[in-house]
Amino acid sequence: MSGDATNWDEDAYRETVLKEREIQTRTVFRTAWAPPYSTNLDTLLVASSDGSVASYSIAASKLKNPFGFVNADTDTLLAEPNCFVQAHDGPAYDVKFYGDGEDALMLSCGDDGRIRGWRWKEFSNSSSLVFSQGNDIKPVLDVVNPQHKGPWGALSPIPENNAIDVNTQGGSVFAASGDSCAYCWDVETGKVKMVFKGHTDYLHCIVARNSSNQIVTGSEDGTARIWDCKSGKCTQVIDPAKDLKLKGSASWVGCVALDASESWLACSSGRYISLWNLPASECVSKIPTRACVQDMLYDNNQILTVGTDPLLNRFDMNGTILSQIQCAPSSSFSISLHPAGVMAVGGYGCLVDVISQFGSHMCTFHCQCV
Amino acid sequence: MEDGEIEEGPMGGVDEDEQSSEPRKLEESPFEILRTSKTSVENIVADILSIKKEAKPKQHLRDLVTQMFLHFVTLRQANRNILLEEDRVKTETERAKAPVDFTSLQLHNLMYEKSHYVKAIKACKDFKSKYPDIDLVPEEEFFRDAPQDIKDSVLSSDAAHNLMLRRLNFELFQRKELCKLHEKLEQQKKILLETISNRKKFLTSLPSHLKSLKKASLPVQNQLGLHHTKRLKQHHSAELLPPALYVIYSQLLAQKEAFREPIDLEIVGSLKDAQAFARQQAHKDTGFTMMFYYSDMSSTADSSKLEDDAPDEEEDGQRRRKRPRRVQVKDSLDQGGIFQAHPLKIIIHLYEDETSGPNSAKLITLRFEYMVKLNVVCVGIEGSNDGPENDILCNLFPNDTGLELPHQSAKLIVQDAKTFDTQRTSRPYKWAQHLAGIDFLPEVSPLILTDNDGAVKNENVISGLSLYRQQNRVLTVLQRIRARRKAQLALLEQLESLTKLEWPHLSCKSVPWALHTPLCNLDSWSPVRVPPVPRESSSPAVVDKEEHVQEPMDADINERSGATKAELESITEDGELPTLLPNMSKLDHSTQLNLISKSIIPPLNKIRSQSFKKLDDSSDFLLDIESDLDEPAQIEQEHENILSRKSVSWMDYGLREFRLVLCRKITADESNVNLEAKIKISMEYPLRPPLFALSICCISSGENHDGTGLEWYNELRAMEAEVNLHIIRMLPVDQQNYILAHQVSCLAMLFDYYLDEASPSSERTNCTSVVDVGLCKPVNGRFLGRSFRGRDRRKMISWKDMNFNSSRP
Repeated sequence: MSGDATNWDEDAYRETVLKEREIQTRTVFRTAWAPPYSTNLDTLLVASSDGSVASYSIAASKLKNPFGFVNADTDTLLAEPNCFVQAHDGPAYDVKFYGDGEDALMLSCGDDGRIRGWRWKEFSNSSSLVFSQGNDIKPVLDVVNPQHKGPWGALSPIPENNAIDVNTQGGSVFAASGDSCAYCWDVETGKVKMVFKGHTDYLHCIVARNSSNQIVTGSEDGTARIWDCKSGKCTQVIDPAKDLKLKGSASWVGCVALDASESWLACSSGRYISLWNLPASECVSKIPTRACVQDMLYDNNQILTVGTDPLLNRFDMNGTILSQIQCAPSSSFSISLHPAGVMAVGGYGCLVDVISQFGSHMCTFHCQCV
Repeated sequence: MEDGEIEEGPMGGVDEDEQSSEPRKLEESPFEILRTSKTSVENIVADILSIKKEAKPKQHLRDLVTQMFLHFVTLRQANRNILLEEDRVKTETERAKAPVDFTSLQLHNLMYEKSHYVKAIKACKDFKSKYPDIDLVPEEEFFRDAPQDIKDSVLSSDAAHNLMLRRLNFELFQRKELCKLHEKLEQQKKILLETISNRKKFLTSLPSHLKSLKKASLPVQNQLGLHHTKRLKQHHSAELLPPALYVIYSQLLAQKEAFREPIDLEIVGSLKDAQAFARQQAHKDTGFTMMFYYSDMSSTADSSKLEDDAPDEEEDGQRRRKRPRRVQVKDSLDQGGIFQAHPLKIIIHLYEDETSGPNSAKLITLRFEYMVKLNVVCVGIEGSNDGPENDILCNLFPNDTGLELPHQSAKLIVQDAKTFDTQRTSRPYKWAQHLAGIDFLPEVSPLILTDNDGAVKNENVISGLSLYRQQNRVLTVLQRIRARRKAQLALLEQLESLTKLEWPHLSCKSVPWALHTPLCNLDSWSPVRVPPVPRESSSPAVVDKEEHVQEPMDADINERSGATKAELESITEDGELPTLLPNMSKLDHSTQLNLISKSIIPPLNKIRSQSFKKLDDSSDFLLDIESDLDEPAQIEQEHENILSRKSVSWMDYGLREFRLVLCRKITADESNVNLEAKIKISMEYPLRPPLFALSICCISSGENHDGTGLEWYNELRAMEAEVNLHIIRMLPVDQQNYILAHQVSCLAMLFDYYLDEASPSSERTNCTSVVDVGLCKPVNGRFLGRSFRGRDRRKMISWKDMNFNSSRP
């Protein structure tokens, strides 16, 4: 504490002020629950824009309110992570688990174009302290997106990975990359198995449709594509905005979601969600939303969406709103569903809101600045 | 009957004969004669009557009548004799009366004399001396000391009486002598008084003499470059300063002399009052010195300790013992004058430190005063009548609004008044206490520092002072004040130019936004007086600039702060989700904890509801917002609320809020895009940079109406992050005071870029194959011209060579 005239450290104080602001501007890009069949099911993983992946135990004892670092007046619930790893330079965008239970790999991708994987067991058992900078567990997987060769040997910036998904049977990780390609990585070798080229702008999201060995990608160019993993060819281009007179840039596909049967695809496009029946490859319905949808997922036959407004929407397959729950982040980038029905919403302000299946808020916390 | 007859007798002329006959019969006694003649007259009358009745012959009548006349005569004679005798007796009595009267008179005189003597004796007996406690000189002393003539004088035959009289005489003599002596002494005194008054007269005239002498010597002094008189005077008055102010004075003076700190010190106030005060203090304290001493030591130690939250056990006990007594004593003192200030005050003129010239500009003048009862030092800006909210000294250091009394003991004294008197222009800032060294100074007046227990205390003070110097308190405070003042001046300048709707001038050209010529207009700039109200997003932002600008600033702020509180309450009362706060905010702590302590893992058998609405309608947190769907401004408002609710009490103190509207015309569809920024400028500027909260609304002429700004949500947040946080890290140190100008310029630049990108007119080239024209050979590979990146679609802005990632949250 650089408190008063007796012990004044102006730079430190300026730093605390800015740090406080930094927390307010930080974003949680992904919340993910611990993999099924592992011991600590109440653990929530949070990937945030400072590149950290941290786990928080939602059990009441762990979420203590630590001493606010500016002063005690700020009654902020700053949660301290149990385990913590500095995964990426720049924002960490996605966290997925490869495998089940204790043997699962925790994969993360981020703005630096890397995909890194840690053993979940190691990660969850490490009591990583904040001052260790989160570098004390070694990743078992660490791959970087390739750079493009430009003219005269210029190399493009490393494209970022905006989303990943996994296929455990094939041993592959799919990454939605910033160079408008999707990559299929081999988990064992760490090599690129397949490159999916075709989008004209960077990819926002990727979902693996493992039942038919396909992946679905959504891109900034306003289309979603379905790819065949074997051939690497695009089997279908879904253009949700085709018949909508949406103007300009407001039509990117920010997120896609597959239902459990993998026959229904929800695909956000600007302020619409379009529902596609994949076997029939036709658009079933278009659901207008108030805000841009930034993440969604299927909960049985319902769709949960979050976006640029502080609301958690629940739609049925016909596009009727079933419920709207106020949630803490004013703009949410992630929703994740615990098998028990508890939802975690993460978003702007480094806020995570944990909501029970009945819609009540179980806890809301700021992730601690590292 | 008989008298009447007797009376009648002399009346009638007939009695003349009887008178003449009477003296004859008076020979025995006139009275006898009178009686016998009367009886004989009666007898004769009886005879006559009997004659008449019995009709006796009347010859006897003649005899009888004569007889009767004879008797009458005798009667008359007797009567006459009686009268004569009476006269004689009367004269005789008359003669005898004179000596009787004389003697009785004499008797009365004597009686009177006697009573007089008795009274005099009584008076003598009752006589009380003026000095009843002084007894008569005892006999032996009398015999020893009395002069011979008194001893030998014989005044009375009675020996005892004589002795007494002699003693009395001696006493009288003695007293007379003493009186004489007294008179002599009086005279002497008078003479002395006269000489004193003469000297006094001389002394009173002396200052003017000296003054004239001083005046006369001034040129010489100037010539020689000496300024002794003033300094000596100041030193003299410094001795009378209370210890706290003395520390300030001495340390500042030392700083000034040692490091040529451009400050001027001055002690103002009446010296006489100070002297009187010191004397009074000394007098008051002598009774309690010991107690005061220890209790004060412990309490000051305590108060500093309490801040550290680690009170020593022993100290604690001592405090408990001592404090109640002390409080009592304090209470018995003048209760009304809790805020009584020491008569002496220190004025400090602070000058610019960077200018090289000898006459650097005066930045600010501070007045330090010492509250005697509270043992706190208060600071005010000399000559400023601003309200406490505008006091630029507040929050000089974090959490130091000057509203609260700095230590516990003072709070105890004030008790009822929770906060310091807000009407005062000088306030008890913590840094002032630190500057005064209140944390190690005992609260004792300097006049009783000479006590033998002063040694211990002095050690304390000395160690405290050495710590004080190590911590560089003086320098820290002076630098902070200087920085604050300069920052405020710079801020004022920027605010002025913004009020005139001019882009503030940026002297630093090494940042991207300094070279960018804004395409958007500075549409309005106004201080905000009320908390943000939800506005119709479609309505044009019409602001009466004149009115807003001319409003007095403090009124605005007062109202606003009050209203913010009200708003806060109303928000929590709404039953709205209490944790809906992306920002650091003051929340009901218990609510949060309750939320957390709920068991997070629900029963594993999944109870799934088809609809949330059906199941848990009563839940406070489940909100049915469907009705809100047609109010697109909702989110905007919420965001503003969130920002406005970021109220951490002390940080909000002295906060000013402004509303800035940037307007950009989009030529393509004739619409206006307004970017509205709510700017909160805290008193800690620039250490705590102004906080921007952005919202956007499009006002289009056509049907294409997009007012929600929801689409822009992430972009706005990115701009906020950039303006509030990231550019501050980029700014060179010397530009700190112009943060606001930089922020506004940067905001304008970002706004321009965002609009350029967003407008459909600008062609986007996503992929470019590059062909080297000269070699006529296509070069492999593609450049990806990207304008967005990442899941939050951050905008890439290239500025010259620098890839300027507009937001890296």
